[in-house]
Amino acid sequence: MGAVALLAGVLAEFNPLEPSQSVSLFPVRLGPWHLTVSNHMFMVSVTAIVLLITIPLAAKPRIMIPRGLQNLVELICVFLRDEVVRPIMREQTDRYIGFLWTVFFFVLSLNLLAMVPSEKIITLLTGKKSHFGGPATANIWVTGALATVTFFMVHICGIKQQGFRHYFVNLAPRAPWWIMPLLYVMEIITAFVRPLTLAVRLFANIIAGHILVATFLGLILIFKNYGVAAASISAVVAVSFLELLVAFIQAFIFTLLSALYISFSVFSEH
Amino acid sequence: MVVIPSSMLAATGTSTSGIVAAAVAFGCAVTILGAGLAIGWIGSRAVESIARQPEAGPRIFTTMVIAGALVEGVTFFALLICFLVLYWLK
Repeated sequence: MGAVALLAGVLAEFNPLEPSQSVSLFPVRLGPWHLTVSNHMFMVSVTAIVLLITIPLAAKPRIMIPRGLQNLVELICVFLRDEVVRPIMREQTDRYIGFLWTVFFFVLSLNLLAMVPSEKIITLLTGKKSHFGGPATANIWVTGALATVTFFMVHICGIKQQGFRHYFVNLAPRAPWWIMPLLYVMEIITAFVRPLTLAVRLFANIIAGHILVATFLGLILIFKNYGVAAASISAVVAVSFLELLVAFIQAFIFTLLSALYISFSVFSEH
Repeated sequence: MVVIPSSMLAATGTSTSGIVAAAVAFGCAVTILGAGLAIGWIGSRAVESIARQPEAGPRIFTTMVIAGALVEGVTFFALLICFLVLYWLK
């Protein structure tokens, strides 16, 4: 009974927004470099390892009528390729679908593992406060890194497809000569703003879900009432289901917009 | 025994004056007004077009979800800028 009270006390000290912030876990020294591993970096690594184990396991039984895990992964992959990417990229689908599948599964896994309270489970098991967990996409730098990958992918694939000079010439549509500089400035601004919107959209959706949960839990602290606690916890459960939906939708939107931007740069649209 | 996390208490009261807080709250409200109208329009047009052509239902639903997520993205931009204003003026 004392252990339960102690654990309840340790868990009650948990700030619900603390896993959304970057908490440093342990420092790593690689020669002259000092890195501090944060809980978000840890979650990104865990997600990468989970995907590196799960996806080859899903691809292993190459049976024509898939069942089990192969069926699930193949369902998602075929839906993305035929319904989402093929209308956008037509004959170049197979060149870029590997990247788009990777982006979708990675963002989806990051968003879904954000809903697993691993740091609280480890706290319950060990009794000490642990920070090994947290929503990685609730960190603007993680989503910024994903958007940077899309940025480089868009421009490098465009340059590879159309040649260096041709790509930059085709950035802006044909227009009277006195308006071309303005169009080029706008295209360059667009090239940087689009990945920024990708990053901020994903970050803001995930962090908004977690802030909402923290707000509902904060109501319990303000009112200190069992009725309010019951209503608040039910609201938190409902919001968590909504957060699962938002995780899928945001991963889908990220992939769709990445495909759209790659198609803009690969097919000389002007 | 309930321990209130001190970090949650410290998160309140960061703006320097009341008018900044009022401006931020008003900005958030106007943003949500625009987002609510936009998503409502998207939803109503989607329902109308599914009623006109039920066999295009899944495709229209997918388009509606995509447009809704894009509008939400823009909304969150404005909300983030409101929060940034609140935390910049410490």
